Amino acid sequence: MAKQVDVMRAIQDAKYADGLTKDQWFDLAQSQEWHLMVTEMADMVAPFMKKYERMLPGVGGSGNGNEPANPSLAATDFSVLGKRIPRVQGIGIVTGLGKYAQHIAPKNALFLKTLRSPHPHAKVVKVDTSKAEKLAGVVGVLHRGNLPKEYQDVRLGGGPPLRDVFNEEVYEVGAPIVCIAAESDHIADEAVHLIEVQYQVLTPALNTLDAMKPATAKQWDNKFDGTIIDIPTPFKRGDIAKGMTEAEVVVENSSARATEQHMPLEMTTTIGWWDNDKYTAIYTCQHAHGSRNGLAQALKLPQHKVRVIQTGYMGSGYGYRSGVDLTEVHAAIMARLTGRPVRAMYTRAEDFIIRTHRPENFNEMKLGVKRDGTIVAGQFKVIANVGPQRAAAASGSWYNMQYMYNIPNLQVEGVDVFTNRFKSGPYRCVGHPNGTLALETIMDIAAYKIGMDPVAFRLKNVNMYGNVDAKLPYSNPGAITVINEAAKTIGWAQKFHAPKAKEVRPGVFHGIGFASTNCNHGAGSAPSTGMLIINTDGTVNAISGATDIGPGQKTQMAMIAAETLGVPLENVRIAYETDTDFSPDTGVTAGSRQTNSGGWGMYQAAADARRQALDFAARKFVDDARRATPPQTITVSADELDLQNGEIFFKTNPSRKMLLRDAVQFSGQPILGRGAHQQSTAWFRVAHYAHAAEVEVDTTTGSIKVIKYVAAHDVGKAMNPFALEQQIEGGVVMGLGAALSEELLIDQATGLPLNDNILDYKALSIKDVPRTIDVVLVEHEKAYGVYGAHGIGEPPINPPAAVIANAVYNAIGVRVDKTPITREKVLAALKAA
Amino acid sequence: MKSFELHDAGTVQEAVALLNKFGPSAKIVAGGSDLVTGVMKDWVHGKGMPIPEKLIDVTAIPEMIGITIAANGGATIGAATTLTSITESKDLDQKWAVLTQSAASVASPLIRNFGTLGGNINQRPRCWFLRGEHFDCYKKGGDFCFAVTGDNRYHAIIGGELCYIVHPSDVATSLLALNASANIAGPSGTRAVAFDSYFTGPREDVLRENVLKHDELMVNVTIPALAPNTKTAWSKLKDRQVYDFALVSVAVVVTQENGAWRDGRIVLGGVAPVPYRAKVIEQALVGKNIKDTIKAAASTLKTVARPMSLNAYKVDLAINLIERTVLNAL
Repeated sequence: MAKQVDVMRAIQDAKYADGLTKDQWFDLAQSQEWHLMVTEMADMVAPFMKKYERMLPGVGGSGNGNEPANPSLAATDFSVLGKRIPRVQGIGIVTGLGKYAQHIAPKNALFLKTLRSPHPHAKVVKVDTSKAEKLAGVVGVLHRGNLPKEYQDVRLGGGPPLRDVFNEEVYEVGAPIVCIAAESDHIADEAVHLIEVQYQVLTPALNTLDAMKPATAKQWDNKFDGTIIDIPTPFKRGDIAKGMTEAEVVVENSSARATEQHMPLEMTTTIGWWDNDKYTAIYTCQHAHGSRNGLAQALKLPQHKVRVIQTGYMGSGYGYRSGVDLTEVHAAIMARLTGRPVRAMYTRAEDFIIRTHRPENFNEMKLGVKRDGTIVAGQFKVIANVGPQRAAAASGSWYNMQYMYNIPNLQVEGVDVFTNRFKSGPYRCVGHPNGTLALETIMDIAAYKIGMDPVAFRLKNVNMYGNVDAKLPYSNPGAITVINEAAKTIGWAQKFHAPKAKEVRPGVFHGIGFASTNCNHGAGSAPSTGMLIINTDGTVNAISGATDIGPGQKTQMAMIAAETLGVPLENVRIAYETDTDFSPDTGVTAGSRQTNSGGWGMYQAAADARRQALDFAARKFVDDARRATPPQTITVSADELDLQNGEIFFKTNPSRKMLLRDAVQFSGQPILGRGAHQQSTAWFRVAHYAHAAEVEVDTTTGSIKVIKYVAAHDVGKAMNPFALEQQIEGGVVMGLGAALSEELLIDQATGLPLNDNILDYKALSIKDVPRTIDVVLVEHEKAYGVYGAHGIGEPPINPPAAVIANAVYNAIGVRVDKTPITREKVLAALKAA
Repeated sequence: MKSFELHDAGTVQEAVALLNKFGPSAKIVAGGSDLVTGVMKDWVHGKGMPIPEKLIDVTAIPEMIGITIAANGGATIGAATTLTSITESKDLDQKWAVLTQSAASVASPLIRNFGTLGGNINQRPRCWFLRGEHFDCYKKGGDFCFAVTGDNRYHAIIGGELCYIVHPSDVATSLLALNASANIAGPSGTRAVAFDSYFTGPREDVLRENVLKHDELMVNVTIPALAPNTKTAWSKLKDRQVYDFALVSVAVVVTQENGAWRDGRIVLGGVAPVPYRAKVIEQALVGKNIKDTIKAAASTLKTVARPMSLNAYKVDLAINLIERTVLNAL
């Protein structure tokens, strides 16, 4: 096996990347880490992909000036798309009777529990498991000291610092020390508490800004100060010094975003077993094939000897379940050693801390404008806490800073800081929500400063072209429409007022806020595949690798299959499961990409099957004529036929028709459609959206009540407005939680988490969300989108923090731009004013 | 979770006998929403807070369940009565709305369906250091309070000493305002303890929050009839409207005479290790016109408050909430 490749290090360290072998490039391309980077954080790795494109997959496909045609745009009459369709697995979801991994426990399964480090930075000196081993019902014990030799050099993720299957030096609270497999969950838990571990406690880096200082102890051989893990190349446009001198007004602001966690309903769960030399795992993941590849690399198996099944029922993922973590590897090794199925379900605390989080960010923003409202210069800096790992996050906040507005002189910098706190990673996007908070608050500050209406100020500066640096245009401009729609729907013109000008009850002030932004999520990327079988009775089994993590990916795939093939939706059964043994990889359900990834694949598969069906129908028409009395000789080609509502007919004479099943029957076997789509690269593929809110702020209690919320999104084509509204409402609610009350806290003295439970981590309840969230769907058909659509998963969570910060300022005349905007911060800001 | 034995008690005497037999390793369980799925599941323990090995279920003891209105106008509520039964009782709501409202403000409907009156009053505190398995604090028998130098935004602003927990019970706050008392059964019979002297602060005994001994259990709570011209009010400020404990709560019971404060109680939850009766404010109101005096009276809370590094905002919140709640009661 080639020396294991550090994916993140390759991205961040050019010298290291230049030294990679061909095999290492191959491993990099297969890794779940790389897959996540190119889908979730495509903007961050774009320069790397360009530089090393010959080493990376996909060069033979999309791009190279061979822009594929978009036949889906020819459709004008829709029989399935555009309708409000409930989830295909709806009954299983609302009753909880669906096949959730959390409910699955084979009769002979062992239960895995893990003893985890209570120290943010320590060395494991001694592990004593003797008492645990004596507890009745304990079957397996696994730790660094008894790990089979073949797994001793296995690592997950990049370094330094390295992440072994069990580390000797641990860099985080929650790092695994010992795994126990027992006959029941409770026995395993009890055994974990009988293990004695001796640690040598080391100094942790817990405060992000302190960790950047030269005096901070290094935790690995580091060329940067303290525990800075990377300083990405700054983005520059124009001449920032000249721009700032041209400005008539320069405003500055510091903003920050706290660590957020996803808090899904279902806990991360894996049930794994070995069958001869093959490992199978049922696993709550967002990418069955990526998880398979991750397990294959960790277990040193080829991909076809690992099978991962995602059941199609999942208490969501929001980004942090894209691949496998150490627990899933432990379960596989434990299953192999014990010869029994192993079930590993995280505790809520484990789910809170050991995977990834939206990182803590600090923003230093400086904007130079003319008094007429023209932006002339922007100087921005983002510091991101990537937690105890090699990762990148700061430049993930740059997107809207670069592309939302015309800023001729621009400089954007970033610093990625390692700390012994919580690992950064996707949470319905990674950094874009922070970028929006940072830019949209300084935009408001500038607008108020020059006395211009904040919405008018945005409209004056909005970028209508696309990527001005790469000279890549938007497929159509949507930014102005969503800004106008959001402003109109909230009643901005009537309701906007001067700060602290509207007291609605004694001590309670009304405020209104706005934010507009954009991001690249929802565009789709490779792989983009699908499969479809037309059975001999004319019904359809559709198979997509797109894992459904809750929002209805499978429903959408079924809708696209039915629409494209030309059959009623009830004649299509989409496989709920994503099973790597029975479906092709269509990439991770992340980056809001499945509409234009799995969706495109399914479109191609249905179109392929449709062509075949029409071809057999044409032959059958010819054959029927030949067998008629008297026999006739006719010529019919597939092009002359159409397929709608399960019937195949002549375009020129629709009454001359046959059932789809007759065409399939005629062929003597099912029709198999296959789809593999090459993504467009001709456009700057961007989601445009704008949100607005009204709040009431009680100056005596600091309470913020959101009384109305508007979210306007350009979705290209609203395939299923029902699902779209749910996605947007859900995103807004989660975004409001981050804005108002969510923050994963640690004790600064010990580094231990304080609120890693759903009581103390204050995600909003149904009573805390606004009574109305008005969703406005703008449909500007996208040239690159399947049926013109653009994905929606992540964008709605992005603007709420900026919107609320701006609304709170409008209400009380003081700014609180560090999330969560708690009553303590509001009251303190009022006191300081 | 550590394995444990579950014993069903059919009568109060049986429950007491089991407690007596098993000693301190046994605990009473009713809804179990905190003891089992909180304390025990999360291994909240230390040498002063051992994990229970035996649980005695009292939810099938008839005399511990139900609401009885007595001839003298008072009420008796069994300790195993669910919070939902209390919130849905019209009798209670008509006479002691402060109690039904405080019960309705607890957690969520699901938890109120399981949670009982006695369980809510006697639950262990919510301090995130106490609840963290790796913080060995005073209350668990350790020798440190992590809140003093740590994140104490939710901790006590009054009456903390050694330990800075706040009492978590909403119904305890309103019952103290109503001058209710608890009936406690033990090996030597039953005793009645007014809530005035039911709760135990850390100065007295840091390892517990009330006078219950290990072989005693709360059987029921009695509430006296309110004096004529008496009104009540309840407020609970929380960061989340469902499933959250009080940042500050206020229970007010006030007997008026021509707009003046004749008698009554102002009790605060979420601010002190015990439900805190704000006598300093009551005294500032006695005999005075309430509307004219409440603002100044409420602000006298500052004379008794000793906020910590991050929770001074709670003093302002409490003062504002007292003023609002007293005015709401009128």
